Amino acid sequence: MYALDISHFTKRYGKEIAVDDISFSVKPGEFFGFLGPNGAGKTTTINCITGISTVSQGTIKVFDIDVTRNYRDARKRIGLSAQEFNVDIWATTYKILWYVAGYFGMPKKQRNARIEEMLHIFELTEYRNKSFRELSGGLKRRVMLARAMIHNPDLFILDEPTAGVDIELRHELWHYLKLLNKQGKTIILTSHYLEEVEQLCNRIAFISKGKIVAIGDKSEFMSNGQTLEQKYLEITKKKI
Amino acid sequence: MNAIGLSTFIRREIERFLRTYIQSILSPWVSAILYIVVFGFIVGSRISLIDGVKYIDFVLPGIVMLNLITASFSQTSFSLYFQRFARHIEEVLIAPFSFFEMIFGYVVGGVARGLVVGIGVYVIALFFTTATIVHFGLFLFYAVSVSIIFSLLGLLVGLWADNFEQLSILNTFIIMPLTFLGGVFNSVKMLPAKAQFFVRLNPFFYFVDGLRYSMIGIQEANQWIGFIIIFGLIFGFGGLVWYLFKIGWRLRT
Repeated sequence: MYALDISHFTKRYGKEIAVDDISFSVKPGEFFGFLGPNGAGKTTTINCITGISTVSQGTIKVFDIDVTRNYRDARKRIGLSAQEFNVDIWATTYKILWYVAGYFGMPKKQRNARIEEMLHIFELTEYRNKSFRELSGGLKRRVMLARAMIHNPDLFILDEPTAGVDIELRHELWHYLKLLNKQGKTIILTSHYLEEVEQLCNRIAFISKGKIVAIGDKSEFMSNGQTLEQKYLEITKKKI
Repeated sequence: MNAIGLSTFIRREIERFLRTYIQSILSPWVSAILYIVVFGFIVGSRISLIDGVKYIDFVLPGIVMLNLITASFSQTSFSLYFQRFARHIEEVLIAPFSFFEMIFGYVVGGVARGLVVGIGVYVIALFFTTATIVHFGLFLFYAVSVSIIFSLLGLLVGLWADNFEQLSILNTFIIMPLTFLGGVFNSVKMLPAKAQFFVRLNPFFYFVDGLRYSMIGIQEANQWIGFIIIFGLIFGFGGLVWYLFKIGWRLRT
């Protein structure tokens, strides 16, 4: 059983093909990097895994559950931190977490305890009653991550989770993500910070123009003294 | 069924309009007071009794219906459109909700706002008029069923609209004119025969007349035609909304 199993997945927007017949899988417990230039198809793929977009062709399974046919069970297993701030900006930090935990069926007592835990982990306790629009960029990103994790999913999909986050918090997040991964959570990460991917991921897939152009263990991409950045540019056909 | 999720969803929708209570609740109440003062006392004092009741008592059910329709329509259309606009609809799309649960959550929010505003107008009116509720069951039926219709219509507009201007088009050019021409301020008998024919083709006439019958016992329309229109619109709009949510029209890319 894979944490994520994508088979011959295609996504079309009208006549335009955004993702073209890709297949790959992620094992439970893996920290998986999903890399590619802007517009390559990363977010489109993530949107189809989570239910924000519809699948045009092929299948996507999360822990053997088809995300289209059995979407309810599949979604309970996934936590998403989206690239953009897709949050009700008038709601407070506490309420954002409270609503989303409820959406995922968490009873009130358990919900309140979990929210306190998330506020503590992401150092958001003092901002609990601040509306989202009042928070700084870094704090907003923390709220996005706390929201993704609020229902304690088995598969975290983090789409550029550290964009706009200061170095201190980035390192704290890395620490927390490593801890989660050690606890057995599967994490899929997209990031333009390649040192972040180097630090965290075990396996990496590169997507370019809607196709998977390379996939393998991190060590395979970093052999012969090459950095991940050099390999990335080589794979995506760009010159240093 | 995701019962906890659904109750949270409904609570969020209700809290959303309570958060903006000045615009969503107080504003229609103030408008209703103005209607009652102007039509009830200034204009109404110069109009003789209609079917044995004072003009203000005759007009009040129409004012309640007008506010109920506007409130339920605004609630769902604005909520869905704004969630699409600000993209936090994605919070709902990635949660384990069925299409029916999503629609049900929005509609309950719309009905709740419709009832808060509509019943609030009635309670305010009690200070100015002698109007009572003659058939409480029917009053509740018309209040809830018409709120459902306009909550569903609001969802259709919330899906369709691409900007804030489009969001208000239906309300300005269809809902308000049809409500005003549906016998809110006059008895259909006051109109020439040809005009009466056209009023009877207007579904809003049956909503207003039904609520008026439940409140003051005066009826000008065929109640059964009203029931058929109400259930037809609920199932028609409900089916269309369900289908559009199912295919993800303007919801899922």
